[in-house]
Amino acid sequence: MLRTDHDAPEVRATLRDWIASRAQDADATPALDGVRLFEQRVLTSLHLPELILLIERLRREPVDVTTLTAADVASIDAIVARWFAPGADR
Amino acid sequence: MTGPAVDPALDPALGVGTSSAPARTATAVAALREPVDRLVDSSRRTFQNPYETRAWPATIDPERDWFFTPELSSLYGTGHWDRLDEAGRRRVAFHEALNFFSLNIHGERELMRGLALRLYRPDLAAVAPYLHHFIDEENKHSYYFGGFCQRYGHLYPSRQLATEVEGGAGADPDADLRFFAKVLVFEEIVDRINLVQARDERLHPLARFINRNHHAEEVRHLAFGRRLVEALWEAHAPAWSDRQVADLRRYLGQFYVMTWREHYNPDAYRDAGLDDPWEVAEQAWAAEAQRTRRRELSARSARFLLDCGLLTEEPHAAY
Repeated sequence: MLRTDHDAPEVRATLRDWIASRAQDADATPALDGVRLFEQRVLTSLHLPELILLIERLRREPVDVTTLTAADVASIDAIVARWFAPGADR
Repeated sequence: MTGPAVDPALDPALGVGTSSAPARTATAVAALREPVDRLVDSSRRTFQNPYETRAWPATIDPERDWFFTPELSSLYGTGHWDRLDEAGRRRVAFHEALNFFSLNIHGERELMRGLALRLYRPDLAAVAPYLHHFIDEENKHSYYFGGFCQRYGHLYPSRQLATEVEGGAGADPDADLRFFAKVLVFEEIVDRINLVQARDERLHPLARFINRNHHAEEVRHLAFGRRLVEALWEAHAPAWSDRQVADLRRYLGQFYVMTWREHYNPDAYRDAGLDDPWEVAEQAWAAEAQRTRRRELSARSARFLLDCGLLTEEPHAAY
């Protein structure tokens, strides 16, 4: 079971592992955090539903997909800032 | 189909000679003229008006009637299903129906968009008469799916978000093949589910009707899709690099994963009264019975793509 306390380092590690397991050439290292996931084609739009489900599962809260933008999921840094950083939308 | 046959090699809209990609598409598509004519005739013979249907009951009882075949539920074969009482299973099945119909609407919206972008494109002109029926019939299917969701529940939003522009308006064989192969995979899976539910006498008559009606027209769409995907693949793949082909295969494999993943919707589990719906979704996705179900329902499309050579192995990541 995933943690629910929004621990950012652990969230980052989980996101890195997940992305690395699906991307062709990506290592689960901190260097991945700033990579533009879709612009650099590390992921495609076909990965988004799974990625959003993972974000929801980490937060134990739904993501409002009606207001979601590409910028929200552009990178691990963007995801953490949007949903997991102190004061982020929860 | 009406209109004179055009030699693609002589059509200035397609570029010079027969070696250009649009000319190869046009030649491949022109060879589908006879089967496409038959599909057009069939669509005209069975043309229907969904707006006059009287199929809608004033109310329904999700805990009394089945609206989704229990053995097709995304929880069937898991501990979550086993722990539910009979009313709870029917309640889950009802929300599975809402999710299934919502997924159809989202898929058909992208399908209609992709077809509309390709309508009367010069290299696809030979199939334009059938594209009209395809779009018309998909629109009617969405009317039924939407009618059910809006009357008795709600649409579940899609977790898909367009982050990349895929082709359609301009001749791009790679984008065309991705689009029509995705349509084929999506519709084959849906059709397997429709067929089982159309025959399931336990289901509420309305649920059976919507599934039966959808299946009747999808048969034509699938016949068209198989012909077109095979024709496009044979026309263009020989000119593509190994890397391009490998990328296409990876893409289709991921499409299977994405398509199936959305059947395990935490929103539907939450609405059915289950606690921790994200964990339920994760456990159901990993359950052996569910992996078997996905493989069985994917088998027909995967077999076709393997026989064509478009895939070289089953989409294992999806199950």
